[in-house]
Amino acid sequence: MSPVIKRGGERFTIPSKYLLFILTILCTGLIIVTFKTNVFNGSVNSVAGTFVIPVQKGITTVSTYFKTVAENLASIKALQKENEELKKKIEDLTTENTNLEQDKYELTQLRELYNLDAQYLDYKKIGARIIAKDAGNWYHSFVIDKGTDEGVAIDMNVIAGGGLVGRITDVGPDWALVQTIIADNSSVSGTVLSASENLIATGDLEMYNEGQIAFSKLVDDADKVSVGDKVVTSNISDKYLPGILIGYISTIEEDSNNLTKSGRITPVVDFEYMNEVLVIMQLKKTGE
Amino acid sequence: MRRLIFTFVTIIISFILQTTVFRYIDFGGIVPNLMVIVTSSFAFMRGDKNGIWVGVFCGLLVDVFFGTYLGFYALIYMYLGYLIGKFNKIFYPENILLPLLLIVASDFLFGFICYVLLFMFRNKYDLGYYMMNVIIPEVVYTSLVAIFLYPLLVRMNTFLEDIEQRSAKKFV
Repeated sequence: MSPVIKRGGERFTIPSKYLLFILTILCTGLIIVTFKTNVFNGSVNSVAGTFVIPVQKGITTVSTYFKTVAENLASIKALQKENEELKKKIEDLTTENTNLEQDKYELTQLRELYNLDAQYLDYKKIGARIIAKDAGNWYHSFVIDKGTDEGVAIDMNVIAGGGLVGRITDVGPDWALVQTIIADNSSVSGTVLSASENLIATGDLEMYNEGQIAFSKLVDDADKVSVGDKVVTSNISDKYLPGILIGYISTIEEDSNNLTKSGRITPVVDFEYMNEVLVIMQLKKTGE
Repeated sequence: MRRLIFTFVTIIISFILQTTVFRYIDFGGIVPNLMVIVTSSFAFMRGDKNGIWVGVFCGLLVDVFFGTYLGFYALIYMYLGYLIGKFNKIFYPENILLPLLLIVASDFLFGFICYVLLFMFRNKYDLGYYMMNVIIPEVVYTSLVAIFLYPLLVRMNTFLEDIEQRSAKKFV
């Protein structure tokens, strides 16, 4: 071999210190760029989506299956016992049922007056399956298996079990990232139905384990708001459609400024056991 | 080239496992941080430069899917990889206690940095709560998983090294 070729064959290397330095600048640059703009959204998302999303979909389906099988086996014995108890209960319930039938009449009439459900029955929705959850333990977001191909877009609202789950913050061709309302970095503008007063509902990691979210900035001079009141998304929110149920107030405290109140809300959605969600295919019109 | 594909596949698999399977077998909503295990293991086995690249890639993967800003986690994982890579000089495939300690330390560091950057800067000062409910459980669970995962990675690494040595001999 001639010395020229040999020299060409030597590998070009940079010391790790410089590599670290260069990549630090690169990452910081990326952070700043994504902070200011969203140029990477489309391209990076589709690349990542083609590699990872199909596998995540598959694995989630398989593991859901195994989990159900394991749970089924474990519960057979418990079910037999339960069966006997339930048979006894049926007798009691049939008598109760006749009483309830009468109440039902009353309920349907009241519902028509309340008319809350109808409000978001009108929106066009699509169902989506949760295929992956946040990699860290700090925030609570998850990935669903519907994306721009089905018409899902950023800021669309996500509901499950009749209550608000969160909104879409990132989207790819066949996946979308949902930020939940219990995540520590999320806030929702809400309204207390009974008093029509607005409040801000914020996710909080400290309350997450108790299954609750915090609310603050509730102006309630007349003490009209009480524990158990319904909280829905407000009209003035710029991301959330109005009238979607968030949860029920569980505690109220007066703030030290004596002007506003804060406390906790119990969300209607059970975030721990959530497999399917509905995406509302309508964006809030903000007049921008 | 073979090594590159191997590393790439390992990272992708652990990321997917972390976001899907481990979500089903979590303890109190806490998931082990496989990305930290992979970054630290590769850095420890292969040196700081390898650690930097693996860290950047792991971090970018997390950023693309769950991060708010691209490059945030990449930066943290990269520095973890670089720091752990400095211990490469005392790497022996037989030793498992030291790498486990390093993984525990790096996961703890990771949790702490995340707390400072994501929570303390938003005026959430209750370090004790976050320590007991997020950081420590994550560290414990991660080290448990690392006991099984790290030997696997080491074995694959020695296997690859054997192949590389064999093919190097062929050319002599």
